[in-house]
Amino acid sequence: MPNLIVSDVTLTFGGLHALSSVNLEIQAGLITSVIGPNGAGKTSLLNCISGFYHPTAGEIHYKDLRLTRLAPHHVSQLGISRAFQNLELFGGLSVLDNLMLARHKDLSYNLLHAVLFFGKASRIEAENRENVEKVIDFMELEPYRKQTVGNLSYGVQKRVEVARALTLEPEVILLDEPMAGMNVEEKEDMVRFIFDIKKEWEITVVIVEHDLGVVMDISDQIYVLDFGEVIGSGNADQIASNPRVVEAYIGEE
Amino acid sequence: MMSANRWMATGNYFTTYRQEQRIFATHVDRLIFALFLVVLFSWPYFIELSTKYMLVIDNILIAVIAVYGLNLITGFAGQISVGHAAFMGVGAYTVASVAGVIGDRHVLITHAWPLMILLSGFMGAAMGLIVGLPALRLRHLYLLMATLSFQLIFQWVIGSMEFFNQGQFMYVGRVHWFSGQVSRSQHYMFWYYALLVTVVVCGLGFRNILRTRYGRSLVAVRDNDRAADAMGMHPGFTKVFAFGLAGFFAGIAGALQAYLNRGAGFETFTLHESIQYLAMTIVGGLGQLTGCIFGPAAIRLLDLQVESLARWAGEILPSSLDLATGLRPLSFGLVIVLFLIFEPRGIANWWRIMRSYVKLWPFRY
Repeated sequence: MPNLIVSDVTLTFGGLHALSSVNLEIQAGLITSVIGPNGAGKTSLLNCISGFYHPTAGEIHYKDLRLTRLAPHHVSQLGISRAFQNLELFGGLSVLDNLMLARHKDLSYNLLHAVLFFGKASRIEAENRENVEKVIDFMELEPYRKQTVGNLSYGVQKRVEVARALTLEPEVILLDEPMAGMNVEEKEDMVRFIFDIKKEWEITVVIVEHDLGVVMDISDQIYVLDFGEVIGSGNADQIASNPRVVEAYIGEE
Repeated sequence: MMSANRWMATGNYFTTYRQEQRIFATHVDRLIFALFLVVLFSWPYFIELSTKYMLVIDNILIAVIAVYGLNLITGFAGQISVGHAAFMGVGAYTVASVAGVIGDRHVLITHAWPLMILLSGFMGAAMGLIVGLPALRLRHLYLLMATLSFQLIFQWVIGSMEFFNQGQFMYVGRVHWFSGQVSRSQHYMFWYYALLVTVVVCGLGFRNILRTRYGRSLVAVRDNDRAADAMGMHPGFTKVFAFGLAGFFAGIAGALQAYLNRGAGFETFTLHESIQYLAMTIVGGLGQLTGCIFGPAAIRLLDLQVESLARWAGEILPSSLDLATGLRPLSFGLVIVLFLIFEPRGIANWWRIMRSYVKLWPFRY
């Protein structure tokens, strides 16, 4: 059953077509990858889904809801969370606070409770801390819990980024190049996390990624973008034998 | 059970998440803070200060409350405000105009003064929310211009409206305490205690806000408002909220200033003062609660030192040089520049280093 449907989405900046008539269907419970050369519009597509850009034309639906014009904070409340490509963490805060921020909408106390702190605010903070600890445990971030995010290494920051998206308790998680700039061991770790996110957490995963090998290995469904257009879709075998995809990646024979 | 003894604890042995929310990790920390408070409340019984110095101390405490607000908006939420004195002015003129309308010896002014101070806080907050509205669209320097224009509009309104006595002094009556009217000789001492209580209460409230979602959301919009948006909060409204909160602290500080000065005058709330509060925030340490205390103390004491230095220099140098007027802004500017270059994290960072040194003594890292 398709969960997230992108229909005929076009995004233009001035005369530049970042996306033109893109159609995607993202199935619930699967790993869907979007690949393509640099500048193909992969990140623009994620930005459209998560509400940072609004498409010039076309619609995006999640279940029965229309996402097309919603702001990012609405989209995230509907259960679609997002990890950014260029680390967009809160650098001055600890890992713990970064993840607690993802619980923002679940912390249901008001300003007066916050000022008094003892009682309701304290209790709700502690309750939500348990959800955060579950994610810390899962993403193996225990050693860094109290450290300032800005001081952590790149690979760990990437993990915090994914952890934060996970802390939002989404139904769909959008990962923008989760493996960019990582070494082989870190990539293997990340792949393991992604599999577990799908299996243990039963979250629909959408990945934008450059590393073709990884994408071919882990994806249930792949879409290939080039110059803002979908030039191929299907499982790994279908993509590998698609002449337009081969052309876009390797060039004409 | 090594966790049981919270007196001898050398590290943290927390076993629940609620324990980890504590402000003071060990009983010793808490005891030191309590002792410090006892000293603050009791020293006037042992040491007698002249009115002049008592006034300086009172002014430091007022600045502490104001800087709570400014640090919140500039240090934590990352929005530079150069209209903070005007927000204080809103608070002060709330008291002063109520006094002007119902009479400065009305029971509301003289007896219900805590209520008036709270009311001024809410007026400041309301004004903060209004002035903060451009934060929905503007950022950085452009937002700074919005606060600057508020400062100028405030000065212009106070300076030209008949209702505000065109910026001339508006009187506020002496307040009453349980022991009757607070006399002239007790005035500064009385307000020292009132201010101290306010500083402690506001400080606790501030600290509590920082360990909840409200405090975290402020830092989130400072560090990355795109990501803050993705976390499910509205970054614009968060900034507007920060302005409201800053306005609240400023309003309270302004009302206290009006009571302390026994009235409100326009020259206490000028752009110059706004920049001075900003300097206190920077020198104290942006985004540091302790900085809210160090900053005002450092700048006010520096002011005092420079004043006496200028007087001394004025005596030995020819009067045509007029060193006295030049020395104050000069030293003031120099201190800010030196801090920005050598210690951008402010005096609060020295405090942090000192604490960790004492904790580890006699071991080194």
